[in-house]
Amino acid sequence: MKLLQAKDEDLIRLSRERMLSLSLEEMRRIKEHYTKLGREPTDLELETLAQTWSEHCVHKTFRGIIDYNGEVVDSLFASTVARVTRELNKAWCFSVFKDNAGIVDFDGDLGVAFKVETHNHPSALEPFGGAATGVGGVIRDILGVWGDPIANTDVLCFGPLDYPYEKLPRGTKHPRFIYSYVVAGIGSYGNNMGIPTVNGAILFDEGYVGNPVVYCGTVGLVRKSRYKTRALPGHVALLVGGRTGRDGIHGVTFASAELHEESEETSGSAVQIGDPIMEEKIKRGILKVRDEGLASAITDLGGGGLSSAIGETAEKSDCGCVVHLERVPLKHPRMEPWEIWTSESQERMLICVPQENLERVVDIFRDEEVEATPVGEFIPEKKLYVYYGEELVGELSLDFMFRVPRIRRKATWRDPNLREPRLKEPEDCTPILLSLLGMPNIASKESIIRTYDHEVKAITVLKPLQGAFCDGPGDAAVLKPLYDSWRGIVISNGINPEYGKIDPYHMAASAIDEAVRNNLAVGGRRIALLDNFVWGNPEKPDRLGGLVRAAKACYNVAKAYETPFISGKDSLYNESTLGQVTSTILISALGIIPDVRMSVSMDLKKPGNHVYILGRTYNELGGSHYYKLYGHLGRNVPRVRVSEAKNTFDALTRAIDKGLVKACHDLAEGGLGVAAAEMAFAGDVGLRISLDDAPKEEMRGDAALFSESNSRFLVEVEKGMAEDFEKVMEGCILARVGATTKEKKLVITEGSKVMVRAELSDLREAWQRTLR
Amino acid sequence: MLWEVRIAYKPGVQDAEGESTLRGLHALGFDKVEEVKTAKVFVIKGDYTREEVEEMCRRLLANPVSQDYTIAEVSVE
Amino acid sequence: MALEFCIFRAPGTNCDAETKHALEYFGCRARVVHINKLISGEVKLSSFDGIVIPGGFSYGDHIRSGAILGKMVGERLKDQLKEFSENGKPILGICNGFQVLVEAGLLPAFRGFSDVPEAALGKNLSNRFEDRWIYLRNDNKGKCVFTRGLEILRMPVNHGEGKLILPQGEEEKLYRQLLENDQVVFRYAKADGTLALGEYPANPNGSFRDIAGICDPRGTILGMMPHPEKAFHRITYPDWTRTGLEGVGDGYWIFKNMVDYAMTLI
Repeated sequence: MKLLQAKDEDLIRLSRERMLSLSLEEMRRIKEHYTKLGREPTDLELETLAQTWSEHCVHKTFRGIIDYNGEVVDSLFASTVARVTRELNKAWCFSVFKDNAGIVDFDGDLGVAFKVETHNHPSALEPFGGAATGVGGVIRDILGVWGDPIANTDVLCFGPLDYPYEKLPRGTKHPRFIYSYVVAGIGSYGNNMGIPTVNGAILFDEGYVGNPVVYCGTVGLVRKSRYKTRALPGHVALLVGGRTGRDGIHGVTFASAELHEESEETSGSAVQIGDPIMEEKIKRGILKVRDEGLASAITDLGGGGLSSAIGETAEKSDCGCVVHLERVPLKHPRMEPWEIWTSESQERMLICVPQENLERVVDIFRDEEVEATPVGEFIPEKKLYVYYGEELVGELSLDFMFRVPRIRRKATWRDPNLREPRLKEPEDCTPILLSLLGMPNIASKESIIRTYDHEVKAITVLKPLQGAFCDGPGDAAVLKPLYDSWRGIVISNGINPEYGKIDPYHMAASAIDEAVRNNLAVGGRRIALLDNFVWGNPEKPDRLGGLVRAAKACYNVAKAYETPFISGKDSLYNESTLGQVTSTILISALGIIPDVRMSVSMDLKKPGNHVYILGRTYNELGGSHYYKLYGHLGRNVPRVRVSEAKNTFDALTRAIDKGLVKACHDLAEGGLGVAAAEMAFAGDVGLRISLDDAPKEEMRGDAALFSESNSRFLVEVEKGMAEDFEKVMEGCILARVGATTKEKKLVITEGSKVMVRAELSDLREAWQRTLR
Repeated sequence: MLWEVRIAYKPGVQDAEGESTLRGLHALGFDKVEEVKTAKVFVIKGDYTREEVEEMCRRLLANPVSQDYTIAEVSVE
Repeated sequence: MALEFCIFRAPGTNCDAETKHALEYFGCRARVVHINKLISGEVKLSSFDGIVIPGGFSYGDHIRSGAILGKMVGERLKDQLKEFSENGKPILGICNGFQVLVEAGLLPAFRGFSDVPEAALGKNLSNRFEDRWIYLRNDNKGKCVFTRGLEILRMPVNHGEGKLILPQGEEEKLYRQLLENDQVVFRYAKADGTLALGEYPANPNGSFRDIAGICDPRGTILGMMPHPEKAFHRITYPDWTRTGLEGVGDGYWIFKNMVDYAMTLI
C-alpha cells in the first residue's frame, strides 16, 4: 500500500477501489498514523481498519456529533437510547449494549438474551440466502453470549406484491420474488435448526421496493454463572465451525454503502449461503463447553470476520493476540491473508480456551463433527500480531484500531406540512371494514406463519395463531422455557412506518407503545426493549433529521414507560436507484410472565360476556389504514400520552393477574373496527359494540371506528365480574362498550345508527383471502 | 472419474415443486409452459465404475418407490 | 429397575430434548445418543429397552428427508436392530424418525426388514413445510403396542415431506396387505373422527388413504408424521386458553403405552 505519499484524491480513490467505504478524513487519520510509524500499512492492516471503523461495526452516526436544527447532539446513542437504560438503572438488566445481545434476568439463575438485527442488503440481492444467513447470524449472536437459542422473531418489509413489473429498475428484483424467497429462507434456517419462529410481522410499502427490510431476532437462555467474557493472556483463540472462504468479503463495508444497479455483480462475494445444520452442531458443542465451564470468552464471527472477533475480544479483555492465519481451514486453496482475516463466511465462532482445557474442547467439537482449530494466542501486550507462516502480515495497535474517529454530521427536519383529507362521511362502514381487513398490512399472514415451525421445542404456549380455529392474530408469543416452572417469556413487536412519513418522532413513540401494549395484552410485564433503525443515507441531513427525532422519542416514551433498552442496531445507507427506504423503526419487546397459565389470548371466549374499551380514542387518522385505503396520508398522526397510558397499562396487568380478563387485543392498524372483527372471528363469538360511551374526542363515527390512537385495548370480561374488573381499573380511562353474542355477527352502532353489521364468516374471509 | 447422476420423480408421481413452479411461470406470463419437472443432479468424483455408481443410486441417492435415476459420465477437466 | 430408552441423534436432529422429557416423565431413563457412537459400537443397543428416533432434519434432509440417517441405520445397525426387534422391544419414529425408518427399510417391512425402501414420504401436496394441529384416528385393530385403547388424538404436524407413497401400480395390493397385517395405525381425520378423505387441511400433506402412521407386521415398530411429544402437556395446545388445562395431552398416551409395553418385557 502506498499511503504515505498519497494526496487526498489518491486516498479517496484507494478507499473506493478497495471498497473500504472509508471517508477522506478517516483515510487521512490512517495516513497520519502510519507516517508516525514510518512505514506503509499492509493491505491486511488497511482492511482491518476499514472493517473496524465501518458504520456497520461502530455505528459512527449514532455515536458521532450531530448538529440538529442548531442543537448539538453529542452521541445520539448515549443521549437517547442508552440514557433510558442508564437512568432507569433496573437491577434486572444483566448485560446491556456491551455484548452481542442484551440480557435480562429470568429467574435468578437464568437470564434471557435477546437480539434483533437486519439483513437488508444481502436479502435484496439474494433473498433466500440473505434472509437465511440473517437468521443464522442473529442466532450466533445469542450463542455469542453463551445463550441457548430458543425462539426466533422476524419482521419483514417488502414492496407491494402487485407492483408493476415495468416500473422496476434494472437490477431490482420484484417484491413478490423477494417476498417468497425471504420467507422461504427464514423458515428454512429456523426450522432446520429446530428453533421455533414464534412471532413477527410483514408489511408492504412502495418504499421497500428497492430496499426490502429483513429483521431477524432470536431469544436465548443464559446461565448467569456460566457467562464468561474475558480472555486472559495465554488462552487459545479457537476457531470453530465452517471453513473460511472468499464468500462474504466486504460484507460490512458493503452494508455501509448504498445499493446501486451493479451491486449484484460487484458485491456477489458479500452474498452468503447458510448451513443451518452446521450451526446446529456448533450450538450443541458450545452449550457443552459452557456447561462444563471450559472456556473464558466467546464471540461470533460476523461483520469483519476474524479481524473483528479477535480484535474486539482482545480489546474487551484488555490484552492482545498473536494470530497465525495459515492455520485457518479454508474452502478455497488460494486466499490472500487479508481475505482470510476479513472473510465473513457463515457458521463460525471464536472461543477462548485456557491451554489446559484445549484438548477437551476440541474433543467436544470433534464429537459433533465440527472443526475446531487453534489460530492464535492471547498476549498481555495490547497489540495484534498477524502472521501468515513466518511472515508478519499485520501489526496493529488496539488503541489505534478502537480509537474510532468521531464524525460530525448535519441534520435537519422540517414539518412536511401535510393536510388532513376530507373524506365523505360513509353511510355504512361495513364495506370499509371488509376492505381494511383485506389490506396486505392487516390481512392474515397464516400462509407464511404455517411454513415456520412454531412448535418445535414444545415451549410455545401462546402461539402466533389463536382462537377457535387456531387462525386469529395473536398480539404476542408466550414461551414456557422450563419443564419444571410456569414462568414465561413474552415476545412482541411494534412497527408503524406509515406514521414516520408524517413525523418519525411519533412513529418511534407509537412503535414503543405498540410493542409494549402487545406484550401487556397477553400478560407480559417488566418489559425490556430493543431498537432497530432502518434508515437512508445519514450523510444527507434530511434523513438524519428524522433519525434524530425518532431517537428522541425513544428516550421520552421508554423512560416514561420504565422500559429500558437492552440492545439495538441501526442499518443506515438503505438507498437504491428508487431512493431511500421508508424510514422504519422496529421496537421489539421482551417481557416476563410469572405464570404462563394466566396468559390471555385475543379471541373472544363465549357469548354473554362484557366488552370494555381501555384508553381514549382521539381524532388521529394520520397515517391510518383508513386513509391509506383512499390514497391519503393525513396529518393527525397518533401521539403517545404517556401518563394516561401508563395508568391503563398497570391496571390491565393487575386485572389479568386476578384472572378477570377473558380476552384482550390491542387496537392498532385499522383501529377499533379491525380489532373488534379479529377478536370476534377468532373466537367465533358474536360481538355488539356501541360507540356512544367509548371515551373519545368529539369526532365522526367513522373516525372513531378507524382512528389508530395508541394505548388502547379491547377486553372481554366474564359476566358477573364487571364490578371486580371496574374496581381494579379504577382511575383509568375505560368504558363498557358492548357484549359478546350468540349470533355470529359483528354489530357496531352509534346512537341509533348501525355503522357495521357483518357475518363473522364474511369478515374472516375478507381477512384471509388476500395472502392465502 | 466424474459421474453425473440425475434423480427425477417417476412418471405419475406427484411433483409438487414442479407444479408450483409451473404456476409461478404462468403467473409471470409464460403461458405456453405445459409442464415442469424437477430433478436433482449429483456430480460425483472418484474412481468408480458405472456399476458401482448404480449401486450408489440404489443404496442411497434414489428411493425406488418414487424416483428414477440416470447416470452419465462427464469428462474430467 | 428403571427402563432405559435410547434416543438417536444425528446432525440436524432437533426434537430430542422434548422426546427425552416425555420419556423421563414416566420415571424412565432416556439417553440421547449420537449415531456415530452407535455405529462405532461405543454404545450398544441391546442394553436399552426401547428406541425413539425423534424429529428434526437429520443431515439437513439432504438427498431426501431421512435418507442419509436412514441408510446408516438400515445398513450399519441392521443386525443390532434386528435382534432388538426380534426381542419385541419397541421402536418409535416421529416425523423425521418415521422418514428414517422408511428409508432404512424398517417400515412397512412387509416381509421383515427390507434392503430397499418399500415406501416413500414425498413432498406435501401443498409443496411447503406446514405447521398445523390436526386430528388423528387410531385405526389399528390392536396389534400396534403404542396405541392400545386410543381413539381420536390431536397433535401438531410440522413437516414438508410427509405424504406416504407406495410403489405405483401396487398401491391397492400393498394397501390390502397393510390392512390384513393390521399395520395401518393413524389416519388424518376431522375433529369428530370422520376421515379427512384427502381433504386439506385435515389431511395436511395429501397422504395416501389419509395415512399418518404405520407399524411393522409385529406391531412394535411405529412410524408417524405427527408429533406426540409436542402434545404431551395441555399447555402446549393451541387453544388451551379456551378449552382449559385439565388432564394430559393426547401425545402422553403414546409414550405411556410405549413405556407400559416395554415394562412387560422385563
